[in-house]
Amino acid sequence: MIEVLNGGTRATVQDAGRPGFRHLGIPQSGAADKLSFALANWMAGNRWDAPAIECALGGLHLRFTEPTTIAIAGAEMWAQINGMNVKNFSAMPVEKGDILTLSFARDGCRAYIAIAGGLKVAEFMGSSSTYLPAEFGGYEGRALRTGDKLTVSHRPREAPRKIPNGYTPQLSRHIVLRSRPAPEWDLMNAESQRHLFVSPFIATPETDRMGSRLRGDKIETGATRSMTSSPLLPGTLQVPPDGQPILMLADGHCTGGYPRALQVIRADLWLLGQIAPGSQVSFRRCFAENAPKILSGRNSFYGGQYGGLIEGFAF
Amino acid sequence: MSVKSPEISPYGDSAILIDYKTPSYSDRIHTRLNHLAQTLRTQGIWQEIVPSYKSILVVFDVAHMSMGEAESKIEDTLKTLSRAPRRKGKVIEIPVVYGGRYGPDMATIKKTSGLSYSEIIETHSGQDYRVCMMGFIPGFCFLSEIPSVLQHPRHDTPRAHVPAGSVGIAGWQTGIYGLGSPGGWQIIGRTPLKLFDPARKNPFLMEAGDTVRFIPSSKALF
Repeated sequence: MIEVLNGGTRATVQDAGRPGFRHLGIPQSGAADKLSFALANWMAGNRWDAPAIECALGGLHLRFTEPTTIAIAGAEMWAQINGMNVKNFSAMPVEKGDILTLSFARDGCRAYIAIAGGLKVAEFMGSSSTYLPAEFGGYEGRALRTGDKLTVSHRPREAPRKIPNGYTPQLSRHIVLRSRPAPEWDLMNAESQRHLFVSPFIATPETDRMGSRLRGDKIETGATRSMTSSPLLPGTLQVPPDGQPILMLADGHCTGGYPRALQVIRADLWLLGQIAPGSQVSFRRCFAENAPKILSGRNSFYGGQYGGLIEGFAF
Repeated sequence: MSVKSPEISPYGDSAILIDYKTPSYSDRIHTRLNHLAQTLRTQGIWQEIVPSYKSILVVFDVAHMSMGEAESKIEDTLKTLSRAPRRKGKVIEIPVVYGGRYGPDMATIKKTSGLSYSEIIETHSGQDYRVCMMGFIPGFCFLSEIPSVLQHPRHDTPRAHVPAGSVGIAGWQTGIYGLGSPGGWQIIGRTPLKLFDPARKNPFLMEAGDTVRFIPSSKALF
């Protein structure tokens, strides 16, 4: 069992999410940074999609009541066990009574803590992911807080693993997202189109698992009247009338009524989970013919079915 | 008269938008659109199929098909699409308490429409609505067009909290909040029915294509 001594800024239980229900208004959810989440599980010897803890911004303190193996990946939060520094993107044994503390995120926003065997929480619609707005999934449908007790599942698993050289993702405070023009791209005037691909934006404090409100050069949309609500995906950049765009994340609304300017390519979606308030966010145009090449390149590195590192994983 | 073919275009690198490009709501187009969405769903090869008022978003599995293959599968489906069946989805009766504390924006609608409270209730509940899409939060249903006299834009500043079950108006759309949420719609009533209940075996009361009928009810319902 794992006791939560302090839930930190916001920590939730997440897995690979519940795809296939957007037509019912249920977003996919799941780990916001799927790559770091998968690496944490892989290092802990789990299947890549075993339920793990996602800690946003930091401050999480845990106590382990039995010896086990854990792995940490994602944003650098200066993790310590009993006050001793431990390395990010690595697996480590913990003893009964050990206390893991995470400080504040420096590069990136979310850290993942995987426990050998994975966490045992009830599933809702086929997934253990927490979806806070509707209070379902994960640990009682809410963020972790002091006094919570998490049960560890004893699924069959492999020995702990070490990430080979060159496979550790490099995170920074400047997130660059390769993107394709989205359906209402043509509503933006030429200057706004240029701004979108040239000027960096800053993620405001209105940044969570649903979306990130960005601040930057005003983007003019030629929309003269309100649009009827239309589908959105994680990675869709919407531009409301005030010209300050909103980037949709893992828990983002399934539909929305603002013009859709850009869609982040699939290979870069994992980076959305590392946007912290104050991060710089830039968009770069990705040409249609390049997107599949970028994706298959990334998948051949990490994607199991493409000969990559993590069995079963794909971007 | 047949419905114009929709425009099929890439949405990002792993989804496709099927857009009927209609300037306003059309029952005929929505019947066709919903039939297409259901036909695609029976194929079992798509990761997400999200119908909305005028378009369908389809997410495909990049491991098994390319953008070009996905586009041609959708084009083939469109070519061989059968006539939309006349049969409607299930009819769901929604008891609604109009006005008072359950419908704080009744006064606004009364002013702009020039109708009395009972006329507003009669007009809003006097027709069946089609569920065009399920919404931005779990259980929110976006319904088809309301009579023009009731149409009213959203609030300029959304309310911080709209209770679950609230029945609202936004432009020509009407809908029901599935969960308590911030929201900008003009709220004219509330239903005690839970449109989304995670504890229920089927958490959803309805899906796109169903028909909703509002039944004016007394406060005793709550």
